[in-house]
Amino acid sequence: MDGDDIKTQLPHRYPFLLVDRVLEREPGVRVVAEKLLTINEPYFQGHFADRPLLPGVLMLEMLAQAGGFLESEPLAGKPIFLAQVLDARFKEAAFPGDKLRLEVSPDASFGGLMRIKGTVSCEGRVLCTAQLLLKSITNPKGAA
Amino acid sequence: MSDLKTEVKTMIIERLKLEGMTPEQIDDSAPLFGEGLGLDSIDALELVLGIEQHFGVKIEDEAAGLQAFKNVESLTAFIAEHRAA
Repeated sequence: MDGDDIKTQLPHRYPFLLVDRVLEREPGVRVVAEKLLTINEPYFQGHFADRPLLPGVLMLEMLAQAGGFLESEPLAGKPIFLAQVLDARFKEAAFPGDKLRLEVSPDASFGGLMRIKGTVSCEGRVLCTAQLLLKSITNPKGAA
Repeated sequence: MSDLKTEVKTMIIERLKLEGMTPEQIDDSAPLFGEGLGLDSIDALELVLGIEQHFGVKIEDEAAGLQAFKNVESLTAFIAEHRAA
């Protein structure tokens, strides 16, 4: 899944669509997606001018957007909201040229909230792990 | 106060990190959400997990779960009813 298919699933657009490709997708169970970082990303202009590196919070946003593919129905017109961030750990930085692997799976859900576990990695190195609570997504298969 | 009620209150306090609160301070019939304890929907998910881990009771039916979350009284009754013997 890439390009227009991703735009069908997620309401996000330039410069804030942070998923380039979906490699594996099993709604309600697991999603593996990719984000390729290029030097042209708008945030690298100021973060930082002399040493571009990816802001850690954007890794959380990437995981949240990857989480949007856990839902079987398109989210267009039904945006997802981040309700809570738990135990976010930034272990290494990401730089222009990195191909980021975004892996997410649901952990629990109740009352329109879904908690997911996510990992951002690059060439086998874990850069970030976090649990996120997403609102207005229902897990089609119930809590894992 | 029944032991199970105290256990439920202790679980709520620990799970939701209601620091400085004791089981005695939670009224059996006061609403858990909104007024009363003032919990929100994020706390509800945390409680669902706490109930599952602590008491082995899974809340699969959301309507039944929301009914049980009315107060400590109803939550204790729900756990007692669904708990494995």
